[in-house]
Formats: sequence, C-alpha cells, structure tokens
Amino acid sequence: MNDRQRLSASFRDPSGFIYRQDGMLYRQVNRVYQNHYDMLVSSGLYNQLTKSNMLIQHEEAKKIDPDENVYLTIKPETIEMITYPYEWCFNQLKDAALLTLDIQRHALDCGMTLKDASAYNIQFHHGMPVLIDTLSFEIYEEGSPWIAYRQFCQHFLAPLALAAYCDVRLQKLLMIYIDGVPLDLAVALLPLRSVLKFGLLTHLHLHASFQKGSARQSRSGSKAVVTKLGMIGLIDSLRSTVRSLHWEPKGTDWGNYYQNTNYGEVAFIQKTRIVKEFLAAANPSRVCDLGANTGVFSRVASGSDVFTISADYDPAAVDLNYAQMRKKQERKLLPLVIDLTNPSPGLGWRSNERDSFLKRCQSDLLMALALVHHLVITNNVPLSDLADFCASLASWLIVEFVPKSDSQVQRLLRNRQDIYPEYTQEGFEETFSQFFTCCRSVRIEGSQRILYLYKRKRIS
Amino acid sequence: MIPHVFTSLDHASGGLVYLDPGSGSILLQMLLAALLGLGVAVRLFWGRIKTIFTRKSSTSEKSVEE
Repeated sequence: MNDRQRLSASFRDPSGFIYRQDGMLYRQVNRVYQNHYDMLVSSGLYNQLTKSNMLIQHEEAKKIDPDENVYLTIKPETIEMITYPYEWCFNQLKDAALLTLDIQRHALDCGMTLKDASAYNIQFHHGMPVLIDTLSFEIYEEGSPWIAYRQFCQHFLAPLALAAYCDVRLQKLLMIYIDGVPLDLAVALLPLRSVLKFGLLTHLHLHASFQKGSARQSRSGSKAVVTKLGMIGLIDSLRSTVRSLHWEPKGTDWGNYYQNTNYGEVAFIQKTRIVKEFLAAANPSRVCDLGANTGVFSRVASGSDVFTISADYDPAAVDLNYAQMRKKQERKLLPLVIDLTNPSPGLGWRSNERDSFLKRCQSDLLMALALVHHLVITNNVPLSDLADFCASLASWLIVEFVPKSDSQVQRLLRNRQDIYPEYTQEGFEETFSQFFTCCRSVRIEGSQRILYLYKRKRIS
Repeated sequence: MIPHVFTSLDHASGGLVYLDPGSGSILLQMLLAALLGLGVAVRLFWGRIKTIFTRKSSTSEKSVEE
C-alpha cells in the first residue's frame, strides 16, 4: 500500500476518495457511506444506470484494508481521458446537464437522490456522457430538498444560458469559477429577454435574488420541506429549460475549411491516404489531433479503433465534430475546445485539483495538420519552440508544412510584416530534425504542402 | 392531490451533506417545488382520468362490435 496515491481532485466528499495504485485507479468507500452504497446496489439503481451507460461500471476489488473506516474498495472502469466542462462544446455541456437530471429522476424512483451535481462528475466515455462518481448518491428522505440544486444551476444552467443568449465563449467562465458561474454574475450578463423564459426567470433570475436576500437575512433556524412530487416538478422544469436552450454553430472560421482551402478533391483524398499510411507505420494506441477543425483527419485515426483526442479552438467546429460523433455513435473520438495558444492550466486548490490539458493529452502520436503556420505566423511562436512543444507531447508526429507561397499563409501575411525568415521548408526541416528523426515526407499533389512523419529522438 | 409542501419546516437530511446548498436556494426550491409539484399532480391526475375514459371507450367499442 506504500505507492497509494490519492488523486489531488478527490478530497471534498467524506464518503470516499479515488487513488492510484500500481497504475490502476481505485475508489475507497468509507464506512460512513456504507448504507448509501448498499442501497445503490440493492435498489437496482446501480444496475439500471450502468446498463444504460449512464453511470460508470465498477467491480468490487478484493482488497483487505486494516483501516476500520474503510467499508470497501471499488475499481471503476478506466476513462480514456479526463476532461473538464470548460473544454466542452455547447452540446457536450448540454448533454452532460440532461444526463445529470435523468440520473436524478432514476435515483428518485429508486429511493435515492444525487447529493451533488458537479459537471466535473460527468465524463465522455465511448462517445457518451457518463457519471463517474459512484458515491454521488444518497438515500432519499421524503421531504428533503435537492441539496445539489444550486450547484446544478451554477455548473450547467448558467453557462448554457449565457452561451445560448449572449456568446458561446462565455462557457469559458467555468475556467475562472471552479464551482460554476455565480448566479448574480450570470443574470447581470444575460439580456432582459431571458426573463421571458419561465425556467430562466425562476432558476437563474429569481434564484440569484433569493441568494442575495438570504445573505442579508439571518437564518430562521427552520428546516425546509420539499415533497417528492415537488422535487419531480423541479427536475422536470430544469430539464425542459435545458432542452430549450440552443446554440447553432454559425459563421465559424473553420467550419467550412475543407470547402475553402487550397485542397482540390484529389489532394484531399491523397492527404487522407498519406495520413492513414503514416498512422499505420507508427501504430499508435492513442492519438492527439491538435487544430482538428471538425475532426476530418481525427476520424482517420479513430476509424481504425484508436482513441483520438480531437481538439480545436473554435467552439463551432467542435460542436459540428461532436454532433457528427453522436450521430455516427463514434466511440473512439473525443472532441474538445482547446485554444493551443492558451491551453487549460492546472486549476483549483493548489492549482492541482484540475490537471492542465498538456498533462492530460500525452499520446503516442500527435497530429498537427495545417496548424504550424497559424502558430508561427499568427501567434509568433518560434519554430524551435514549436518543435520542442510537439516532442513534449508524443513520440510520433504527423505534421504538415504549409509554405509562404500557399494562399492561406499569404492571407495571414497580408496585414503583417514578414518577420519569419526561418519559416521555409529548409528551416522547418532543420529545426524539427533537432528533436525528431524524419521517417517519411510526402508532398501533397496539386498543392505546395508537405506531410512529414517524425519519430522523437531519444534524449541522451 | 395538492402536495404537502408547506406542512412542516422541520426536515433534516440524514445524508452526507458536504455541499452548502445555500439557504436562498433552498427557500426558492420550496416555493418552486410547491408550484411545479402541483403541475405534476395535475398532470398525473389528468393522465388517470384520460386512462379511465380511454378504457371505458375501448370497452364500449368492443361491446358494440360484439
């Protein structure tokens, strides 16, 4: 038990915690949670939720713990990559919200309730949102209110309403406010017309006023009563409010990229074939596609049953990617909204509660297609720094070099001085060869672009 | 069928509450639950009435056919 490492995010709930041992994840269930855990299993709720892929499956580990506070240890199914709500597109957050409410309805039917409604408890697994915190349930007592109501509104409803009514980029407020968007801030930002929707009027506007009012008044000492029927009404109301919030990707920068680039149909087919060949040569078990747009080339990897992170900074492109993933029930793809020039940092308590994106996205192979010119020319990242960055994330790299003569680069250079003398094919190859060995390079027919397959050099 | 929302204000949760539910949130939840619970009750009641009439009409249709 010496190498048992408690995960830095798992410290709030006294019911138990997650730890890593011998490379495996375990969840300790404390004695204080015994009745609730037993009820989860005996009521049939666990079976019901796991069969419909709403709750992560686990097996009870045969571990004997001398600590009398430990009831048992469970070994949950492994999630390919932990992601956070500020990295999700609008419809990922919406699906996560609806899942939380559906679980609460199922739980009530089985005599249980969710004691928290944190967006961080939902993860995307095999292309579907799933609750990963098995200890989120407690025995429901008739008359008790939903303790997690405020948390649900802050973690889900407020950011979704802000995205739908103001700007989708406001979802990133979740990165600043680790326990969800404060309701007084949300209502200050929402337009007045949002009060016309009953669900937003009550669950956000009135909710914020009640919070403000209660902060001024002293507690009366009385306890609340909410009937089960009332609770069902509340959950149904939240559900219909969330369902009514929509955000359509419009005017995306890159949404129509593959219709607006220098690629003709032949070049596009060839690029796809080359990427496929390179992937087959590297044979990765995990791929990270940065600047993935709508995930066209991510699907070359995920289509071969390789788990693929498909990240782009444009929420519209990621939403399109996600919509396609859900429609085709793709199990190996994970679309994410990531701004590479400012990727999610370590956050929360001691900046250690939520890991940085770069720590979590480590893969066998990194894809950077039509990305280098954006980082070097638009964001002034030195080529050597970019090569070092790529080498820090994966041992294999598929990268596309787009020369200055390409019309896309010309467009970037139109309004800025060309201060990138090293940005040439020779400069690119020389710089990347300091970190990688070039295994293959192929010029894409009908364009001036070159695809490279690199293998990271061993650090001596 | 009116839900007993305001029958008592003396409920204590026996669970492992580690979140602060916020007293304003709880108060609002009580009011909303009274209103929305009534809606659910009416819906359930209406559903039952509809079922009775649907059964009756289908029974009478059957007897007419017979």
